[in-house]
Amino acid sequence: MNQDVSDGVLVRRVLEGDTEAFAGLVTRHRERGLRFAAGMLGDRADAEEALQDAFVRAYRGLRSCREPDRFGAWFLRILVNRCRTRRAGRRRRDGLFVRDEAALERAASRPAGDPDWREEIDRALVRLDALQREAFLLKHVEGLEYQEMAGLTGARIPALKMRVKRACDHLRVLLQEVNDARVG
Amino acid sequence: MHGSAEDPLIARVAAELRRRPPAPPDFEARVMAAVRRLPPSLPARAWTWLREPRTLAVSPLGGLAAAAGLAALVIVGAWAATRSPAAGGAARVAAAPAAARDTHTLVTFVFMAPGARTVTVAGDFDGWDRVQMPMRRDASGLWTLDVPLPPGRYQYAFVVDGRRFVADPAAPRAVGDDFGQPTSVVTVAAGATRAGRGSL
Repeated sequence: MNQDVSDGVLVRRVLEGDTEAFAGLVTRHRERGLRFAAGMLGDRADAEEALQDAFVRAYRGLRSCREPDRFGAWFLRILVNRCRTRRAGRRRRDGLFVRDEAALERAASRPAGDPDWREEIDRALVRLDALQREAFLLKHVEGLEYQEMAGLTGARIPALKMRVKRACDHLRVLLQEVNDARVG
Repeated sequence: MHGSAEDPLIARVAAELRRRPPAPPDFEARVMAAVRRLPPSLPARAWTWLREPRTLAVSPLGGLAAAAGLAALVIVGAWAATRSPAAGGAARVAAAPAAARDTHTLVTFVFMAPGARTVTVAGDFDGWDRVQMPMRRDASGLWTLDVPLPPGRYQYAFVVDGRRFVADPAAPRAVGDDFGQPTSVVTVAAGATRAGRGSL
């Protein structure tokens, strides 16, 4: 893929009938998408399915992308919704909170004393309220401004700030001890 | 800079989360395979359907009844639209299938918007194209368009002046709208010949 070609050019090529140009958009946005979906869903396979679903929906709805040069932001909104829908579906299927508890069990069942900082983070993340986790990932991992987050999630900025603050507070409680041991 | 530098712990967490393992090598191929399996867009199928020559055998009495039925639907739609207050350019919508043929049902979208310069129908049946399905305006500001749709459940909206998406207030709203626009749902039943407003 030619990195010099903008998202807008690729979008327009797809709309003109060049289906294969969509592969360029997939390549360009898959890593960020997978990072967000894995953080939200706590399960790599689930995250890949949600991401693929989001890309297919984006392809089908590409004509509604009003600003082709901002395809990434538009796609992230689709992915946020797909992750929410997927979580809701899991709850309906498995019962309220059951799946999150299962994810927590999986995380907690890793070997005791596992020094892997990453696993500690994953365990902490699945303990967060879903909306707080979503806001935290968008703000601190994806680096979005609150205005962008409001456009993506439909939530108001004060509510988003509160979610991020609570997520950070919760993560500090869950991870401070581990972090102190690591850096100490 | 992601706004977490003021808190070293949160900054460390965020930095670690940005180092997720990459997507599997075949991910792009999987997506593209799914994309290629998608059916062609509805406008292409509808155009093909409309252009196909076909013989329609209708008895004189049947033809008269069908014409009367179509006229009644149009009159009811127009009456409903004009009875509805259009405050500040807000629109009222009536949509109904006018006739069924083969596997498609001809769905009539009706939209009252006297102040609009253009109105189109956009939905997942046409890839959310804002220009491909222009509606026709009559002297009263009533916009109409017939769209042949196969049985299925579709999301749609009206696009006013090429920019503003307006959901159908008389139809169920779509839940979990992916694209951040207000949309409505239309369901075309197999073999449907008629349906009420907003619940096609």
